[in-house]
Amino acid sequence: MAAIEPMEQFLIHKVVDFPLIPVPVLGHIDLSITNSVLFMLIAAGLLCLFFVAAAKRELVPGRMQAVAEMLYGMVDNVLTGGIIGDRGRPFLPIVFTLFMLIAILNLLGLTPGGFTVTSQLAITGTLAVMTFLIVLAVGFARNGLGFFKLFWPAGMHPAMSAFLMIIELISFLIRPFTLALRLFGNMLGGHVVVYIFAAFVVNLAIFGLNGFGLNTLGLLGSGLSFAMVLALTALDLVIAIIQAFVWAALTCVYLNEVVNLDHGH
Amino acid sequence: MADPTTEAAASSGGLPQFDLAQWPGQIVWLLIIFGVLYFVFSRVFLPAVSSTIDAREDKISGDIGDARRARDAARADLDAAAGELAQARARAQKVAMDAQSEAKAAALARQAVEEAKLAETLAVAEARIAAARAEAMGHVRTIAVETAQAMIHRLTGAEASSAEVERAISQAVPS
Repeated sequence: MAAIEPMEQFLIHKVVDFPLIPVPVLGHIDLSITNSVLFMLIAAGLLCLFFVAAAKRELVPGRMQAVAEMLYGMVDNVLTGGIIGDRGRPFLPIVFTLFMLIAILNLLGLTPGGFTVTSQLAITGTLAVMTFLIVLAVGFARNGLGFFKLFWPAGMHPAMSAFLMIIELISFLIRPFTLALRLFGNMLGGHVVVYIFAAFVVNLAIFGLNGFGLNTLGLLGSGLSFAMVLALTALDLVIAIIQAFVWAALTCVYLNEVVNLDHGH
Repeated sequence: MADPTTEAAASSGGLPQFDLAQWPGQIVWLLIIFGVLYFVFSRVFLPAVSSTIDAREDKISGDIGDARRARDAARADLDAAAGELAQARARAQKVAMDAQSEAKAAALARQAVEEAKLAETLAVAEARIAAARAEAMGHVRTIAVETAQAMIHRLTGAEASSAEVERAISQAVPS
């Protein structure tokens, strides 16, 4: 029997070893190229390659240019334009970068032999904190101290407002955790389940080939498991895109609250 | 896999993602890669894409504007041609009407001349008839006198002078 180790696929190991770099306060930091870093670099390289190929200025776009323009139009019309509105244009690059990077990292995780960078809590957590800090920074830059109006529900008894403010504050502060855990959980769960069914394919087939009678049922189970792997992989493909979109959309929703705070949302 | 910490994390049953030793390197690399990507997207690729889209929209709206102007010009030409046609038709109608009325006037004038001529002829004829009748009527009394003389002669054998007969007729038939 092949050993079933569903977590082994998330292990980080070094590909290119770099010496430790001393950092004044934190001690030493290891910037070696690990499999996680390698796939981030691959993702960045693919994105740059794609856009070098796609960023032609043809009046009648070719395929690549059409895809790039479609992606741009989707983010512009649905996300920044659709959710934030007229004031959304300045945030298009950050939302676009988040969407493209998360989507390509999710999809690279589904390639055979690929490593799922977005199943690393360090990665999703960093992206989530970054998103949260951007929303905070935009909020204070646009509204100054009026930013705190976001937490004060207007038009009711002050005691009620004060109570609700606590809830609003908690729901605001919990956002980086929900953002990070949503993507992390989706990626982790999807890959673990696919791994387990893939392990069934192999192990049940070995069991089925080892004898007759009851063992033959193992071959049936193996086939069913293979069908499950196919179906789950298809589902994971959809989830890979949807989760990237969800992240970008939530970023827009959060930005919308602080950008259009004076519009009475 | 040679890394003892990750091996330990995996074998202890915990998630490898919770191995904090692997966090700093990933975080720093992510921030670097994200920063570079953001820079490249916001400064190079996205402006290129958006300017291309804008240029296309400008071109399309410009072409539509040109087409609309050409259509309006064609429509104006058409209207002008239709106006000219209507004018020409009106002129032709006027010419035809003028000719008609002229012809009518000429015919009327000719008719009047003919009628005048006819009336003159008629008047002359009537005058002649009247004269003839007057003359005839003059003869009637003479015939009556002669007839009366003849009748008197046959009936009485006497001769009556024409003056007497005429006086008697004048008394019987006041003329």
